[in-house]
Amino acid sequence: MPTVSVYVQSFGHIPALMGLSRSLITQHPMGRPLGAPGDAERQRAVVERALTLLLKNEQSIVDFGEPYRRA
Amino acid sequence: MEATEPSETIEQLRTSFFYGRRSDLNFKFARDLSDDEFGDFLSELFAATAELTDGGDPQAVIDVAYRWQVQAYAGHLGDPADFPHRKSDTPLTPLTKPLNEARIMLLTSSGHFVDGDDPEPFGEPHMTQAEAESRIIDFVRAEASLSSIPLDTPDDQIRVRHGGYPVQAATKDHQVVLPLGHLRGLVADGVIGGLTANAYSFVGATAQGHIKRTYGPAWAELAKEQGADAVLLVPI
Repeated sequence: MPTVSVYVQSFGHIPALMGLSRSLITQHPMGRPLGAPGDAERQRAVVERALTLLLKNEQSIVDFGEPYRRA
Repeated sequence: MEATEPSETIEQLRTSFFYGRRSDLNFKFARDLSDDEFGDFLSELFAATAELTDGGDPQAVIDVAYRWQVQAYAGHLGDPADFPHRKSDTPLTPLTKPLNEARIMLLTSSGHFVDGDDPEPFGEPHMTQAEAESRIIDFVRAEASLSSIPLDTPDDQIRVRHGGYPVQAATKDHQVVLPLGHLRGLVADGVIGGLTANAYSFVGATAQGHIKRTYGPAWAELAKEQGADAVLLVPI
C-alpha cells in the first residue's frame, strides 16, 4: 500500500530511522502537524504537498520549509 | 533550628513538566534538556516575553518554545542504533494511477473519535483529557483501538483525547491533524480522485510492538477493503 506521512520537525528524524517511504516534515510545534488552528490555507497546502509525494518512487523525506504561523 | 523543606533541584523542576505536578504537554520536552539548556531556554523565553510586553512580535515567543522543543526531541531516542523500530528494508510501493484518480485513506494517531462512539479506554466512559494524561503509562502498555470517522461527520461531532500530546489545537480545529474538510476540498478540486468512506484515528501512545506485528498489517488490509489506492498517515 503506497503511503505518505506528515511529521513535525521535532520527530523529523524518525522517518529515516524507520525507512518510511515518503514523508513531509513541517516546521510546526508538536500537536499541530498540518498548521495552526484556523490556518486553513497552511493546513491544505501541507496536505496537498504531502499527497504529491505519493508520485515519488524513491524514499523521499522533504521539508515543507515554511515556519509555523498563527492564524 | 526550624526544619525546612528540601529545595527543588533543577532536574526536578524540568521533569515536573513531564507528567509531574506541573504537567504540561506543550513543555514536557523540558525533561530532555540538560539543566544548562533548560536555563538557556527560560532565559530566552523571558527575554521574548519581555519584548512582547513592550509591543514585540508574539511569534518570537512561539519561535523560542519551538526551537527548544526541536532541540530536546532531537536526542530523546538516545543512540539511533538502539532505536527498537529501526528498519532499513521497508518496501516502497508505487502509486499505480494518477493522483487525480487515486482514492486516499486518512489514518492518524491523533486520538479523534465521533461523539457517541467513544472508544472508552480501559472500560471507562467519558474519560477526560486530564485523566488520559494521568494514565499515560497504562496507554503505552495497552493495545490500540481504532476509531472510524465517516468522511461526512459534522465538525461539532468530532472529539479528541490523547494523553501524549497537547490537544488544545486539535480541540479548537481538528484539521490541524485530521484534515477531513481539506481532503474533501482536494477531491472537489480534482487534485485527488476520491476518499475512502471513513478516516481512522487511534491513540498513538500505545504498545508499539502490537502496532508493528498486528495492527499495522490489519490496517493495511482495512485500507485495501476500503478501496484505498494510498494512505495519508498523520502521526502525532
